[in-house]
Amino acid sequence: MADFIRNPVVALPDPNPESHFSEEELIFTEDEKARIAGWVSQYPTSDGAVMWTLWLAQEKFGFLPPEVLQLVAVELSLPYAQVYGVATFYTQYFKEKKGTFVLDVCTCFSCQFCGGYDILAYLEEKLEVKRGHTSACGRYTLQEAECLGACGSAPMMQVNNGPYAHNLTPEKIDELLEAMEAGKPLPFVSVTLPQDEDEMGGNRRTDAEAVEGYITPPRSERTQ
Amino acid sequence: MPQVIIDGKSYEFEGRPSLLQFCLDHGIELPHFCYHPSMSVPANCRQCLVDIGAPMRDRQTGEIQVDEQGEPVIQYFPKLQTSCSHIVSDGQVVHTARSSEKVKDAQRDTLEFLLINHPLDCPICDQAGHCPLQIQAYKYGPEGSRFEFRKVHKPKKVKLGPRVVLDAERCINCTRCVRFTDEISKSGQLTIIERGVKNYPMTPPGVSFDEPYSMNVIDLCPVGALTSVDFRFQARIWEMASTPSITTTNAKGSNCHLWVRDNLVLRITPRANPDVNEFWLPDEDRLAYRRFNEDRPAGPSIAGGTRAAFSSWDASLQRAAEILQSAGENAVFIASAYATVEDNWMLMQLADAVGGQVAGYIPHIDPGHGDGWLCTDDRTPNRQGCERLGIYPIDETLWRARIESGEVTALYVLEDDPVASGLCSVESLAGTEVILHYHHTTNQTLPAARVALPAAMAAETIGTFVNESGRAQRVIPAKAIKGTNRTLMMQMGLSRADRHGTPFDRWHNESHYIDCKPSWEMIPMITRALGTEINPQGPRKIMQHISETNPAFAGATHDAMGLTGIDLCLKESFQPAHLEGTH
Ligand code: SF4
Ligand code: FES
Ligand code: FES
Repeated sequence: MADFIRNPVVALPDPNPESHFSEEELIFTEDEKARIAGWVSQYPTSDGAVMWTLWLAQEKFGFLPPEVLQLVAVELSLPYAQVYGVATFYTQYFKEKKGTFVLDVCTCFSCQFCGGYDILAYLEEKLEVKRGHTSACGRYTLQEAECLGACGSAPMMQVNNGPYAHNLTPEKIDELLEAMEAGKPLPFVSVTLPQDEDEMGGNRRTDAEAVEGYITPPRSERTQ
Repeated sequence: MPQVIIDGKSYEFEGRPSLLQFCLDHGIELPHFCYHPSMSVPANCRQCLVDIGAPMRDRQTGEIQVDEQGEPVIQYFPKLQTSCSHIVSDGQVVHTARSSEKVKDAQRDTLEFLLINHPLDCPICDQAGHCPLQIQAYKYGPEGSRFEFRKVHKPKKVKLGPRVVLDAERCINCTRCVRFTDEISKSGQLTIIERGVKNYPMTPPGVSFDEPYSMNVIDLCPVGALTSVDFRFQARIWEMASTPSITTTNAKGSNCHLWVRDNLVLRITPRANPDVNEFWLPDEDRLAYRRFNEDRPAGPSIAGGTRAAFSSWDASLQRAAEILQSAGENAVFIASAYATVEDNWMLMQLADAVGGQVAGYIPHIDPGHGDGWLCTDDRTPNRQGCERLGIYPIDETLWRARIESGEVTALYVLEDDPVASGLCSVESLAGTEVILHYHHTTNQTLPAARVALPAAMAAETIGTFVNESGRAQRVIPAKAIKGTNRTLMMQMGLSRADRHGTPFDRWHNESHYIDCKPSWEMIPMITRALGTEINPQGPRKIMQHISETNPAFAGATHDAMGLTGIDLCLKESFQPAHLEGTH
């Protein structure tokens, strides 16, 4: 966003993009079709199933170029334009080919305050990729994201539209990247809700030991 | 009857009207952008906000509560409501910007938001002068903007399709254009892409916005974001005069406005008529504006030997009269489904006066062209008008044979082109004296014409057309022709001279006056030369006469037709038995 504010130019999408998939590749299997039909049956009109189906298509093809959007439109009997509109609305739908790992680093208000840009810069350096781009090796796509709703554990990032990594520090990022490279699932981190603070000895962080510096002051102290 | 109080005045209403439409119908202006009466209501522009309340009732007794003064206590919605999506109900109290500061502020702030990224390029925008955003910003908007950052730049002059250009920066994302393609034309070619400050309407990659009704989004767009490839930068809105008319490209007779500057028709836009075309006009009707300007003749001509030479009107009509006189009963007349009822009626009187025969009209049917909406297979505007006068499609085989045999010594063609339509060839007309009323120099019968008479087109004449469903509608002149015709001048309206230009205006071009005459003016001049006077004369009196004497036109006077036309009796009631099944 910061780049956009500095240079607020919206580009025209390529009106005649090259096709990435062949005719033979562009099909849904019977099983997939059945799943789509299942979603469609849950709504009065097939519009309702468009997001599910796009999701499925993205998992299958990796990203959503126009020919895949057209496939979805045909499958749901919706205008191609409408499917295109939905796909461009959400940043989580990838309109172009991305790296194996898509890292969405939050640089919105709270994360920015807690060092979101430092995290982003650290990743840029480490992965040798500029924000908004995919690394030369094709493994990492680094993106800036707006608030992902986990401000309480800022700075944070999201990996592949899925797991969140909270309370980021350079060391933690090194660990995360190692796990990713090793093909291991990201360590699950639960974020405690304020109402659980009592059980946690006044601390809202499960990983309190790991990040000494971030310990929330016990509630009793705060209210005094 | 249920009542609603708007700005302190009470109004009765029926049914379940939307508040915005109700206000507009009652002359209460409410600013709005996204609402359109014939499409769904997304309530996304937020410009039509009003404050709505209802009298508070006691929960137990259901009685209306009153304050110390005995006035009912009004309970308002906690937030302002969009009037377009609000269905009026009994007893409600509404405040518009006229009686509520809150509403006034809200509308002003909405406009400030809408204008944040708007380029404010009104001085070069085609929409300026009739732009709802411009008008409402002046009326309801803030005096300036507090936004001091760089405006977002979006794609400009994007050719969405062959006829529509997009300037995404001007767009306020009201989605009218998208809803038109989704709900009205059903082409589904447009969508809003991206989101937030980045969004704008677009076709998906690889798709061109080329549907046959694409240009309707240009009128729908409440800003100048969608403009016409053809009309872009051609004229400012205030330089043109607009005349209510109907389109003559097909048998639908869609209602339209003809926009004229200096006697050139520059564009055609729809005119709302719920009984014919609602708010819409197909692109083919709009692009027909060129027909009024291009390939127009430069005056009447008489062919002597092989060369045609321009002549005076008197001499040409005199020559026509001589030809008809010597042909007598061998003179054959071809009526025209392109010409008005009045012109065709005149032709019938001329045939009577000469003693010749009206062979019929040439049908111009293009099977498969119609779409069941505003385009028809029939490419002529007045086939039914002819048939109601008792003129039927010409028997081509019969008349082709007669023309080729040389039996027809004089052929009088009203506003049509028998050669192009395949009725006969220029060669087969060698022995026939042809008198031709024509619109364009591209008319292929011209080389065979002995007397060629330029006829006024729908934009220049007064007359009646009957559309395929039997609706009689009339046209009035939108532009002036050369020469003086009092009847035409009167109908043009006196305030118009400025727009057409006078010889003192630098931009005025004398050659834009076409040297043509309405057929209803030419034909009586011919009969006069023959020593007969046709009565009545002038389109208004002719129509009066026809409506009184021909039951198929009962009631169809110019006054009764007004601007939106009237439905005539059913076609079946005048169709002669022997012609049934031939259409
Ligand atoms: S282009 Fe015009 S009609 Fe379409 S969304 Fe924008 S403002 Fe509305
Ligand atoms: S600001 Fe980063 S998650 Fe809310
Ligand atoms: S007209 Fe009501 S919100 Fe747009």
